Amino acid sequence: MLNYISEQNLNDLLDQLIKSGKRVVAPRINSGTPLYEPLSASGEMDLKELPRRSAKETFFPVCEDILSYEKEGLDIKLSDVDPARFPETVLVGVRPCDAAAIPVLDAVFSWDYKDQFFLERRRKTTIIGLACTTSDDACFCTAVGLSPSTTKGSDLFLTPVEGGGYACETYSQKGEELVGNHKELFADTTAANPLPLAEARTEAFDLKKIKAWLDDNFENSYWDGIAISCVGCGACAFVCPACHCFDIVDEGTEKKGQRRKSWDACGFWKFTHHASGHNPRDLQPKRYRNRIMHKFKYYDDKFGQTLCTGCGRCIRVCPVGIDIAAIVEEISHK
Amino acid sequence: MNNHAIIDTSIYTAVTEAIRAEAQRILSGGQVTAVVGYAAARRKGSAQPIIITDAADAGKLIFTSACVNNLAVYLTKTKKGILKDGKIGIVVKGCDLRALFGLMGESQLKRENLHLIGIPCLGVLGSTMQPATALTTATIASKCGECDVHMPSGCDFIPAVELPQGPQLEGKYAAEIARLEALTPAERWAYWKEQFAKCIKCYACRQVCPFCFCEQCLCDRNKPQMVDSTPRPSGNTAWHIVRAMHLAGRCAGCAECERVCPMDIPLNLLNRKMAKELKELYDYESSLEVQEKGPLNSYAEKDDQSFIK
Amino acid sequence: MCESNKNIYLPNLVTIADIINETPDVRTFRLVFQDEAVRDSFSFRAGQFAEYSVFGAGEVTFCIASAPTRAGYIECTFRGVGRVTESLRNLEQGDTMAVRGPYGNSFPIEEFYGKNLVFVAGGIALPPLRTLICNCLDQRDKFGDITIVYGARTEADLVYKRELAEWHERSDVRLVKTVDPGGESSTWDGKVGFVPTILEEAAPSAENSIALLCGPPIMIKYTLPVLEKLGFTDEHVYTTLENRMKCGLGKCGRCNVGNVYVCKDGPVFTAKQVKAMPLEY
Repeated sequence: MLNYISEQNLNDLLDQLIKSGKRVVAPRINSGTPLYEPLSASGEMDLKELPRRSAKETFFPVCEDILSYEKEGLDIKLSDVDPARFPETVLVGVRPCDAAAIPVLDAVFSWDYKDQFFLERRRKTTIIGLACTTSDDACFCTAVGLSPSTTKGSDLFLTPVEGGGYACETYSQKGEELVGNHKELFADTTAANPLPLAEARTEAFDLKKIKAWLDDNFENSYWDGIAISCVGCGACAFVCPACHCFDIVDEGTEKKGQRRKSWDACGFWKFTHHASGHNPRDLQPKRYRNRIMHKFKYYDDKFGQTLCTGCGRCIRVCPVGIDIAAIVEEISHK
Repeated sequence: MNNHAIIDTSIYTAVTEAIRAEAQRILSGGQVTAVVGYAAARRKGSAQPIIITDAADAGKLIFTSACVNNLAVYLTKTKKGILKDGKIGIVVKGCDLRALFGLMGESQLKRENLHLIGIPCLGVLGSTMQPATALTTATIASKCGECDVHMPSGCDFIPAVELPQGPQLEGKYAAEIARLEALTPAERWAYWKEQFAKCIKCYACRQVCPFCFCEQCLCDRNKPQMVDSTPRPSGNTAWHIVRAMHLAGRCAGCAECERVCPMDIPLNLLNRKMAKELKELYDYESSLEVQEKGPLNSYAEKDDQSFIK
Repeated sequence: MCESNKNIYLPNLVTIADIINETPDVRTFRLVFQDEAVRDSFSFRAGQFAEYSVFGAGEVTFCIASAPTRAGYIECTFRGVGRVTESLRNLEQGDTMAVRGPYGNSFPIEEFYGKNLVFVAGGIALPPLRTLICNCLDQRDKFGDITIVYGARTEADLVYKRELAEWHERSDVRLVKTVDPGGESSTWDGKVGFVPTILEEAAPSAENSIALLCGPPIMIKYTLPVLEKLGFTDEHVYTTLENRMKCGLGKCGRCNVGNVYVCKDGPVFTAKQVKAMPLEY
């Protein structure tokens, strides 16, 4: 049972993977902002801070072409995107709140119609998770049934230990294969103790009770009060590991162009705006209500899961400081 | 070496007390139907916008270095159905107040409908991602380094608090603009290309801006699609340039756009540069007075025409 | 490329075989799949919709307006309201566009066998019912009485004038057509009055009957009580909902009404289901 890897060996592992042609994606500082990005060398990896955006974009890019077209006389030539060209990827240094969201997203992207843009990337990616030793008071993974050491979603999971390096455990065939192919970098065991995990910042929410309230309170004046400050941007949805709404647009001319899908958000005014001018969610409180409902009720109704992993990013980036943990906690006391 | 100086914000306690008393007074006296201000939120040291209509809630109002929002945005027509009719009280820092006077100049607000509660302000945090951060010369917002409205004029009420002399703040925007101006056009373009490539089209910049009050933004229309909506370099560049142009002569320099950008794009540099150009060309700047029309909305005989070759 | 790697967003190219101007602003396209294999295998059920592409403008959602019983083509009927539908109006016979689908649920036609059917539609909302009407008429002996109550603002706004003439001629169909007061011409031979009023006058029996209702929200609002008055229960009244869509297949997250995805759980719903939905459609 191989269950220890030193810092140096982890770097060597990543460099070997890069050299073998695999794409290695890890937290990296991009002009001051931590993001999950492809590395050109292991030395670029920086695991100190939680990346500003989540790991979902490894599987669900911010924007991607889904087809291209070209008009030739009366005919149109359609070119498909070949998912075979999505690269083999190792996604490393993924926090539990990010890793746990990926299997949650599997449900919607494989609901009857299999979205290969997501699923092929999933098949080709091995996820190396990392336990959290620090947190801030925006974190609330423990409120939604997760923790700083949740292994859900990780193929291989690293826990920092005293003296450096990581205790590790595999949770899937992909994880086992990764370790198996690089046996020499892993040690049998370590006597070192794991570093103390980040403190749990919140008590667990009673998600069933919250859902029960949401089931019965679509028309409650509560919604008018909590979202009064929401300015209707997409920051919360875009940084969220679980939000997955997207737009599909054609860009180019009628003669030549691409059809693309890109991130969209239910907070935007035009998200549900009909061409006729009718908008079922015409006021911001209705749009914010949809956010809470989708995460804590609808996704459960449809797929039996909560669409939130408590990463706290939406709280940190919200321009007006809307705190979803505070709102959901308030609902749980109703 | 860490030589960042802590900024003593102890006056904010007195400011908070004064705001609460004033809000209590004007709400219970029926002078206003609502007060837009800041209240503490769940996270330690955090603040968030609040709209109170009951004098009993006046005690919720605070002013701290985490009170970063420009509350003027809640008075624009994009925020439908939030405020009832009647006079509204609003808590404003000097930078926010410039936006309010700008909105008055664009006939979006009437002075007599507002009860302005000014803030003697030493500065606020540049980022509230960690709201419990102490206010220092390093964490203070860049805009505060160039502020000349610490004690805003033209308000209906301002707490009788003296501003202490704080540590010297560097004009970060001026320095950065000078640096960019010294680059060649190609280098400058490369810099902005890199910045705009980070944009994810969340439109946080637009949504917090008091001057982006168009009920349907030009870039949200698709007949025609003026600017590509996807977050790709070309559409992102077009978006930010269009926005900077639409704000030229209007932007009050509250720098909220830059603060809220989740990708840390230094958006306010664009607006500051435009403001600098307009000052040089048309002797115009955003101020604490109502100005009828901005320089790009009006023509004067003495306008610089040297750009016409 | 094997089935499991299929790009679910890739549409099938179609040729516009025919264009029918239903009204001054409503047009029907008859579309034929360019790929022979698709043309031969494409099948759908009445009530389903598709995503229609005008490359360069985008995609738009319409029900498939032709009957599933008619092979070799599909039809869509639309009005130029937004960017894509206005681009559609610029297309001509022989032009290429694209279709992906069919998506959504459908009318449970097998449950209607042996029953009387009452179709009630207004204006441009006839297409989702026309597919079912034609489907039923193509299998006429499977159903009981068929009553169609259809109205529009004016005579010129009635769509499917050709079908209306055919249905009028049939002795096994009771067609009641109407226009809003003031919408009739001097040669109008139908009723005059709003659809809910005319429906009440026509008073089709609710016994062993299914009602199928499609129209603008205001018409639905006033028609449901009439149906109730006539004795139709909510489980026996069907309607279709539409909402802003993009993917059409349950992933982009925008067409939901509460926890109901119009593209997956609909667009066909019973009145009972609709009444249980939150008001966000």
